[in-house]
Amino acid sequence: MSLLEVRDLNVWFDLPDGGELHAVQGVDLTLHAGQRLGLVGESGSGKTTTGLAMIGLLPSSASVGGEVRLADTELLTLGEKGFNAYRWRDIAMVFQGAMNAFDPVKKIGSQIFEAMDYHGVASGNAARTRVHELLGLVGMPTNAADKYPHEMSGGMRQRAAIAMALSCEPKVLIADEPTTALDVMVQAQILQLLTRLCDDLGLSMILVTHDLAVVAQACDTGAVMYAGQIVEIGPMEALYHEPDHPYTRALFAATPDLYGDHPVASIAGSPPHLNRPIVGCAFRDRCPDAIEVCVRERPVPQVMAVGHLAACHRAGEIARPAS
Amino acid sequence: MRSGDYVLKRAGFAVATVFIALSINFLLFRVLPGDAASNISRVPGASPQLRQALEAQFGLDKPIWQQYLLYLKELAHGNLGVSFANQQPVWTNLSEALRNTLPMVLTGTVIAIVLGIATGVLSAVRRGTAADSMSTNLAIAFYAFPTQFIGAMLLIMFAGIFPAAGMSDPFASNASTMSHITDLSKHLFLPVLTLVLTLYGENTLIVRSAMLETLGEDQILTARAKGLPRRTIIRRHALRNAMLPTLTMIALSLGAVVTGAILVEVIFSWPGIGSALYEAVLQRDYPMLQGGFLVITVTVITINFFADLLYFRLDPRITS
Amino acid sequence: MSTVINTTDAPRADVQAGPLRAVRGMVKGTSARIGLGILLAFLIIAIFAPWLAPTDVHTATCGVFDAPSPHHWLGCDDGGIDMVSLVLVGSRISLIVGFTATLVAMTLGGTIGLLSGYFGGGTDVVLMRITDYFLVIPDLVLMIVIAAVWGPSLSHVIIVIGILLWTGTARVVRAQVKSIRERTYVKRAQTVGASNARIIFRHVLPQVGPLLIASTVLTVAVAIFDETALAFLGLSDPTAVTWGTIMEHAFDRTAISAGAWWAIVPPGLAVALVIVGCYLVGQAIEDALNPRLKVAYLSPKSWRLRPLVGRGSDAV
Repeated sequence: MSLLEVRDLNVWFDLPDGGELHAVQGVDLTLHAGQRLGLVGESGSGKTTTGLAMIGLLPSSASVGGEVRLADTELLTLGEKGFNAYRWRDIAMVFQGAMNAFDPVKKIGSQIFEAMDYHGVASGNAARTRVHELLGLVGMPTNAADKYPHEMSGGMRQRAAIAMALSCEPKVLIADEPTTALDVMVQAQILQLLTRLCDDLGLSMILVTHDLAVVAQACDTGAVMYAGQIVEIGPMEALYHEPDHPYTRALFAATPDLYGDHPVASIAGSPPHLNRPIVGCAFRDRCPDAIEVCVRERPVPQVMAVGHLAACHRAGEIARPAS
Repeated sequence: MRSGDYVLKRAGFAVATVFIALSINFLLFRVLPGDAASNISRVPGASPQLRQALEAQFGLDKPIWQQYLLYLKELAHGNLGVSFANQQPVWTNLSEALRNTLPMVLTGTVIAIVLGIATGVLSAVRRGTAADSMSTNLAIAFYAFPTQFIGAMLLIMFAGIFPAAGMSDPFASNASTMSHITDLSKHLFLPVLTLVLTLYGENTLIVRSAMLETLGEDQILTARAKGLPRRTIIRRHALRNAMLPTLTMIALSLGAVVTGAILVEVIFSWPGIGSALYEAVLQRDYPMLQGGFLVITVTVITINFFADLLYFRLDPRITS
Repeated sequence: MSTVINTTDAPRADVQAGPLRAVRGMVKGTSARIGLGILLAFLIIAIFAPWLAPTDVHTATCGVFDAPSPHHWLGCDDGGIDMVSLVLVGSRISLIVGFTATLVAMTLGGTIGLLSGYFGGGTDVVLMRITDYFLVIPDLVLMIVIAAVWGPSLSHVIIVIGILLWTGTARVVRAQVKSIRERTYVKRAQTVGASNARIIFRHVLPQVGPLLIASTVLTVAVAIFDETALAFLGLSDPTAVTWGTIMEHAFDRTAISAGAWWAIVPPGLAVALVIVGCYLVGQAIEDALNPRLKVAYLSPKSWRLRPLVGRGSDAV
């Protein structure tokens, strides 16, 4: 029973000179209750756009195609007002740089209170109690409710942002780079917090990030995005130990090894521009294993194992490097 | 910093600025070429006694630093000198003029601010639409029109409908308060309208810019993610935050208010402090010039100080 | 969220190539182009005014306050002088006063802002205090007093405007210089032992360039406005032909009660047009330098839904 289904999601951005940027190209995702999916990719891969599309917060220069189904309701066709009813109550989001997500002239408590009050989830004293509960849930003292955002550290604000996101008991939480710009110790704490919350509250999470270590730590499923497409998706373990897409492999190989056993490999070249349609596989110019068909045909996701798909013509053929 | 510290700091700044203004005032008339210094004692058509008294008062025979101290001493006693033109104490002339200026300038400035905020917010929220373009272009146009141009146009347009000069009907007998008020309102109309049209354009542009910046801040995206409707977001989050830079910039535009007020008073012969300054220029009435400069400047500095305090109350970030 | 990241401490590449060229790139939009067009038009008018003017501005060729007619498209002023010629010739001195006063203000303001931002510390505090004082003191009043005492003449007007208009630029330049100074490439130059002068001229100044240009253009608008104000109050040279003095003569000689709008509208419009031109250009540059204005999380239009035909990779 899937909670959130994204089918064939496409996003185009109008470019100032008249063309279009095809930022997300046919993304399919399924999220089950309690699942923690990591959406990984470099900048420009379309991961943040995908996250924003799921909550309908794209800019006016965007055109969207495809479906986003929450339980049985398709969200994209609802329009702004219709979508508003689902925002925060069913899908909530914690943003990149959530340190600035708060209104600087209002206290934290009132901002957490605001959504609950507006959506009719709780009001008056019940809501105030809940605010304290939420703060406790994320490991913050109750007096934080009376503080202004600038009076708290980055890590604390991130926690408060998470508390705020949970205020209406959403089913899905989208976290966009929740730990970027936080120092490593705080990063680990936040990730642990998110994992725990998902387990305790039965929350499903989509964690968007460029950092492999983050997904490895906090997610049970991983989806790797490149040039607007999902190139590989599967259980974290499988991705980590048995990656089938050359890009995934290259990503993992590019992670510095703490013990310095093997040199850091970088991926030569850069991702293709998305303002023109790409023929064939988007990764072919940088792929060490590209063959003739890669230039002609765009690869279709192939099933490698249960819940493990890789969009590569040669998936399963190439011997995996010893990990 | 604590609130007490902040208030003290701003008060100190205000006092220092007043002092600088005083000193500039003093220096200008003693140091600049153009026989101003000697003119002070050569009052046109004054009796020798008056001349002597003035000379003694201004201590023109003494060294400069002594003159300065004398000047400060006189000021401390509220003595701004005596007008060349009507032989009245400068302060008496000016306080009456100030009383006349206030209703006109206050009305005009307040309306200009409210109008500026309304149009600025409208433009920002409807950015890129026809409403935005129209509103912004109109604001730019009025910002660009010289005040005397606007005044002239209004005078020509409303000739005969509204009085063209003065503050009250000189032929009105001591009739009822109601008729006084009506009379005042009729006389206020054109000057206030001119002032509003002069000032509102810049306010619109300031507010629009501040709103646009606020609407690009992350907290607006969060507010949308929460499912709040547009109006609520604008009212509760955007507006409140945009008011901070707006307040700063409006405080900085006080100079424009003074400029506008002076020009309007001259155009409409409004017997206020702007006109007094103008008359003083025409008649080279230096004590009035000095006094006028001082009174206007101190008023502006005071208003600035209060604006600082207001900003402090509105922005919680300053206390930390 | 805010994908506008100026993560690198590197100098802005487009400005590094030359601030003037960068500015040219910033003046792209329609409103900026219009502004530029207006300014160029007036520049040409000012340069060629004596040849463009149909009559001489010192000899009467029609009656007092003659209405517009085929002979005199904009009618005549109180002295029977053709308005078209007056406005054309008036552009020269108005623009010269505006530019020169701005030059004074820019040099003063730019230097103070530069020194303040670059050297920081005590210099900064002192200079900024002085700037703050001047910011608060109302400009026109001080100008009136100085001009009244000093005597009405164009050079006095220029200097008076110049010494009061520097404050805005000083503040803005200081802020930019401060942020540039903290950048890595400047610190690198300092460690290598480059002299302050060299760093300022090679690294700081080019980056501040566009902002300075924007500030200059916006100041010209204010300077021209101030000249008309001072002229209106009788503090400019009454024999000079400037848009300000044209309007002042009109008022003085009761053009309004004569209903002679043509004595006031043309110079007034000319001033307004130049100010609009300056505003559009200056604002365009400033907007281009301020990336935050490009992001808008709340706009009147929403994203669009595009119906897809079919499924799979061939769907576009």
